[in-house]
Amino acid sequence: MIDDETAFAGRDKCAVVGIGQTEFSRNSGRSVLSLATEASLKALADAGLGVEDIDGIVRCEQDTVTPYTLAASLGATNLTYWADTGPGGVAPCMMMGLAMGAVLSGQAKTVLAFRSLNGRSESRLGSGGQRMNAEAVGGFGTYDEFYLPYGLISAGQTFALMARRHMIEYGTKAEHLGAVAMACRAAANQTPHAQMRDRPMTMDDYLASRMISSPLRLFDYCLESDGACAVVITSAERARDLPRLPVLIRAVAGGAPPDLRPGMMFPVVSRADMTDLGGRRAAERLWRRAGVGPSEIDVAQLYDCFTISVILQLEAFGFCGRGEGGPFAASGALGRDGALPINTGGGHMSEGYVHGMNHIVQAVRQLRGEADMQIPDAELCLCTGGPLPVGSSVVFRKG
Amino acid sequence: MGRMIPNTQDHDTAGFFAAAAEGRLVYRACGDCGRGLHPPTAHCPFCGGWNTGWRDAKGTGTLHSWTTVHQSVHPAYTAPYTLVLVALDDTPDVRLMGRIDGEPELEAGMKMRVWFEALETGETLPQWRPADD
Repeated sequence: MIDDETAFAGRDKCAVVGIGQTEFSRNSGRSVLSLATEASLKALADAGLGVEDIDGIVRCEQDTVTPYTLAASLGATNLTYWADTGPGGVAPCMMMGLAMGAVLSGQAKTVLAFRSLNGRSESRLGSGGQRMNAEAVGGFGTYDEFYLPYGLISAGQTFALMARRHMIEYGTKAEHLGAVAMACRAAANQTPHAQMRDRPMTMDDYLASRMISSPLRLFDYCLESDGACAVVITSAERARDLPRLPVLIRAVAGGAPPDLRPGMMFPVVSRADMTDLGGRRAAERLWRRAGVGPSEIDVAQLYDCFTISVILQLEAFGFCGRGEGGPFAASGALGRDGALPINTGGGHMSEGYVHGMNHIVQAVRQLRGEADMQIPDAELCLCTGGPLPVGSSVVFRKG
Repeated sequence: MGRMIPNTQDHDTAGFFAAAAEGRLVYRACGDCGRGLHPPTAHCPFCGGWNTGWRDAKGTGTLHSWTTVHQSVHPAYTAPYTLVLVALDDTPDVRLMGRIDGEPELEAGMKMRVWFEALETGETLPQWRPADD
């Protein structure tokens, strides 16, 4: 085992120096490559850099845009480093680690990290996607043959099984899940680019939303979206010469749960404790690597594919005890004036679902002090990915 | 569009479906440490051994969790239907899926019993229903 406290060599050594995003919408009417290119150019402009400065590109393995295709579209022919990570929403936090590794090892000087998808108009992640037309499903280490033929098809159904289990074991209620959705919605209502900016939501609205896969309702689900986000990472030293206030990558950590099962998302339901996340193990390392704990976090961007995933991460990252995530959320802690404001741009629930990447962008905005719903004096921001089957996390620090 | 049919030819999982076709429920287990392995693997992560194989299950279990799907995401799986997650009585290490039409009355920990569904395409799926039904 690594001694995280002494072995982690990355603390505050790299910084996010530029952020960019496209419009988030239900139908972009554009290619995913075009979206990725726009977000990347905006991130570079924000950083005061040009395409010739980009020599590394990291991405999510589910992105249909490859690093070299994005480089071609940008004209970034100084590319010398590229890497994929994942799965899915686990990727953005791990991308920060890849970028850091590339910069600190001298493999690249300026790394672009991006995620681009027409997640609403073209390939909805909740639909079961390409598997629909397969002759026989599963095999080859996917283990889908144990789940898809039964009709366990979507992420929402998987998280519904987890939510039900959390309710059975800990007494978690619909109103607890609703508190998460409402916190995200309230932030979106103050964020002009959020898709739900003009749509306030009450607890009655939440409870009246239609059941999709019980116990999860429509408003327990994120907003499948079209859009792209990109960020630029370089060394902290170089960041000081660039125009924007650097946001330091304080620490990065991934984690696997003690009862890790093979396959991707569905086999998580066979874990001895299926509401215990890999994020808990990521958190143990993250806090040691960062030299701070959950009580020192000013604001958090928690991966909210579903409301229940936020409840589970509040527990996994130590903001409350096991089983206490529901009451913690319902206490008002997650709002702007609470102890732990979360998803301050509206998150996946109400801003847009860019598969974790918009959380990175929002973390940077908060620590620069330029968020629409700004948390006063925010200096440390936790960002999480995932949360299945493994977890990922970053602590960002105001530079 | 028809039901999704399972790949029954995978090196690590074919034995499950071959047994189901004979009306037997089996699970992968480690012959050294006795732990159940699901999804099945050739190597046991619990004790590090390779002495794994298929073991006959009693065909009974308890309901661990469930969800009623109210919005269809695949045309061959018409809502409402209920996905049940059943922990085998043989070993808590193994939990299997089942599907019940509609929205049955269920409660955590209730006894469940296996039955075998023959698909039109020839494969067999172990399925679960409340033991009292």
